[in-house]
Amino acid sequence: MSPILEVRDLSLTVPTGHVLQKQKRILDRISFDIPRGASTAYLGPNGAGKTSTFRILCGLCKANQGNILYNGKSIQHGLPAKSIGFMPEQPYFYKNLTPSELLSGLAQISGIRKKDLPLIINNWAEKLLFSDILHQPLHACSKGQVQRVGLAQAMLHEPEFILLDEPLSGLDPLGRELVRNVLFEAKNNGATLLFSSHILPDAEAICEQVIILNKGHTSYQGSMSKLLDFEQKWVISLQGEPIRRKHTQLKPLTDNCYQLIIENQKERDEIIQLILSSTETKLLAVEKQRHTLEDAFINILNHGSAQ
Amino acid sequence: MNNTLSPIFAIARMTFSEVLRNKVMYSVLLFLMIILLTATSLASVTMGRTEMMVLDIGLGSISMLSSLMAIVLTIQSIQQEKEGRMLYVLLTRISSRWQYILGKFIGLATIIGGLTTLMCLLLMLLVYLVGTPFWPSVIQACIATVLETWLIIAIAMIFAQASSLFLAILLSLSIDVAGRFTFTIQQFGQQSDSPSLHWITEVIYYLLPNLEAVNLRNSAGYIETYNQETMMNVFLYSFGEIGFLLIICMLVFERRDLH
Repeated sequence: MSPILEVRDLSLTVPTGHVLQKQKRILDRISFDIPRGASTAYLGPNGAGKTSTFRILCGLCKANQGNILYNGKSIQHGLPAKSIGFMPEQPYFYKNLTPSELLSGLAQISGIRKKDLPLIINNWAEKLLFSDILHQPLHACSKGQVQRVGLAQAMLHEPEFILLDEPLSGLDPLGRELVRNVLFEAKNNGATLLFSSHILPDAEAICEQVIILNKGHTSYQGSMSKLLDFEQKWVISLQGEPIRRKHTQLKPLTDNCYQLIIENQKERDEIIQLILSSTETKLLAVEKQRHTLEDAFINILNHGSAQ
Repeated sequence: MNNTLSPIFAIARMTFSEVLRNKVMYSVLLFLMIILLTATSLASVTMGRTEMMVLDIGLGSISMLSSLMAIVLTIQSIQQEKEGRMLYVLLTRISSRWQYILGKFIGLATIIGGLTTLMCLLLMLLVYLVGTPFWPSVIQACIATVLETWLIIAIAMIFAQASSLFLAILLSLSIDVAGRFTFTIQQFGQQSDSPSLHWITEVIYYLLPNLEAVNLRNSAGYIETYNQETMMNVFLYSFGEIGFLLIICMLVFERRDLH
């Protein structure tokens, strides 16, 4: 299946300073594809260029060079308004309006019929648990509530491509779970998701694709499983006399307990045999060490590869 | 409603509701009431027609407060949208940026124009209680004041795109003040011996919006009515200038990168 979005050699330079302006390179020839119907995490440290990419995709600013193809067609002024839903980072909206007024105004801009508005808005308010503040001014709502209203506005016109800039920031664990479920549902309904986040466990749970951006360059692009599927390690927990080997990392725990971290499967089997045959050492557990997106992310940023 | 107009009116409606609940609006109304009541009590103990003094002070105050309100509320509204990223949400939903400018103008013109009308009605009620001026010219002056306010909204919308709130307000106020003296500036150039000064003042005269062209306050209440030609000129100039300023605003905004 062809990707819904293809970005090729996208570069962005912005002027900085007031009087004597200098040019700062934000994006340097980045390229990536977004598969149709997939959810893609767009990751990177602060200042990597994630928000700038979103702004270019939404037509808020123009790239200095590069091509963007949406559904195979080249676009110049951002993705088509009707097909996308966008939630900016930490939105504040009109503080004197109520979520109901805000959502109905935005829904009307997106072409939703007036008679369908109450049903759609109530549905989203129930789904994202803000029914109780639906008629309360936004300035009286908490940051997390505003964040959920922000997510609702991005999705209420059922766009095929949803761009979310830090949708999980400022949410409590319950709020994050709620948002995760909504994103899963949108994905199951066929929407394509592209979202940036610093909360990597959530990105790992939601996305099957990852793009990692560092200093304006694409450092990784591909599937989540491939990124996390490098050589695995095993952790053997034991009690008693520690076993020392050349390529084995020994990590003391409490109560005369230890952990051995082993990289080699053959060595793992040998050590297990040794422990089982020993009378001074007791085997407590053997676990496969789980690599997280956070590990891979840090490795990519520090060493250029996930391993 | 078709796809082009619907977003414009939705933006206008949201702007209207947002500004309607802004405390600045009610502070301005309260301030006008204080000015009018002070003017009435002062006028009653001075010589001359009380109602004409109240009318003069009232119309002048309404013009000043409306202009100030138009500048502050327009710039505050647009800058807050930019800082709060509401602007991004709106722009990704509409097919063209001119829809945002037009929607914003309609929303601001309705609410600020509405408040100016309300202030004029309050003034007329007060004047009615103390005397009887020539009402048609008073009503015509009030209509011209509303048009003047709309013109200032259009000016403020151009400068609202500047990076700082303070700079935007300062530039808009400067144009507002200079726009009330364009005729004086032109006359100053004509009386000068320097051809370059003459040329510069002519350019300024044609470049700046001429707010005196929509000022009918000077003879309001003193004459029966302004003639049809004067009113036609006021309408044509206001709408022409507003259209021109909005087109400039759209052209500037269309090219602007929102980093």
